[in-house]
Amino acid sequence: MTFDFVEPVVFALLAIGVIAGGAAVVLLSRITAAALLMAFTFLSMAGMFVLLGAETLAAFQVLIYVGAITVLILYGVMFTKFSDRPRALFFQRQTPLAVVFVVAVAIPVALFSFSFTSAPPRPGGGDLSALATSVFTDFAFPFEIASVLLLAAMVGAIVLTGRDDPEEAARRRRR
Amino acid sequence: MTVPLGAYVAVSAVLFFIGCAGVLVRRNAVVILMCVELMLNAANLALVAFSRKYGSIDERGSVFVVFVFVIAAAEVAVGLAIILSAYRNRPVVDVDQIHQMKG
Repeated sequence: MTFDFVEPVVFALLAIGVIAGGAAVVLLSRITAAALLMAFTFLSMAGMFVLLGAETLAAFQVLIYVGAITVLILYGVMFTKFSDRPRALFFQRQTPLAVVFVVAVAIPVALFSFSFTSAPPRPGGGDLSALATSVFTDFAFPFEIASVLLLAAMVGAIVLTGRDDPEEAARRRRR
Repeated sequence: MTVPLGAYVAVSAVLFFIGCAGVLVRRNAVVILMCVELMLNAANLALVAFSRKYGSIDERGSVFVVFVFVIAAAEVAVGLAIILSAYRNRPVVDVDQIHQMKG
């Protein structure tokens, strides 16, 4: 007895999770629920990474997307006030046109994406050492650039949200 | 029986279209940020799938995914900072009402 059927079944479940979660983010009007379903989508995506044999990236996915980015977005949701206006911006009157356009684009893309065929599977084992070798040899310079980018983003976020209240600044100076 | 590469690419394409539709349709700026994250994640899935199933030489696709993680983190931090500072100016998060900088 073999368990060859397990991988397609797991893939189908994860695909349903990813697509349903993504659709819920777009369709739900409750923003907190949308943010939590976005985390669910990211978790399903981590499962897909595991299925593809990229365990390290799955771990990064859980840490960065499910951990950091979802929490940050929930923070933003809690800080802002919901508006009770309709959640959609436009395209309300152009629904048939939009559906026609999406179908016309989506069908060729789906057919094209199924035309890719896999190479023979590579030997098993983790992806960490190959990934680390690549990052710290061929991609050492982009790695440094990425660290500068993160520093710039941190400084930018602090500057953008920092309060420049003159009274408070004066009080801080007096102390 | 393994899952073919095309199935992964198809899931990635569907998720990308969902995120794209969300960016175009939704009104709330925070939800638009979420949909941008979905699109980035769809691109990640395509990169990992091609890297694992196609190129048996090195881990280039996975390295790109790591850099996409970095850029996504930076993007969401700066994006939320912009949304919050605009919200402090005038308490709305609907993108059709934030038009102080419109020329």
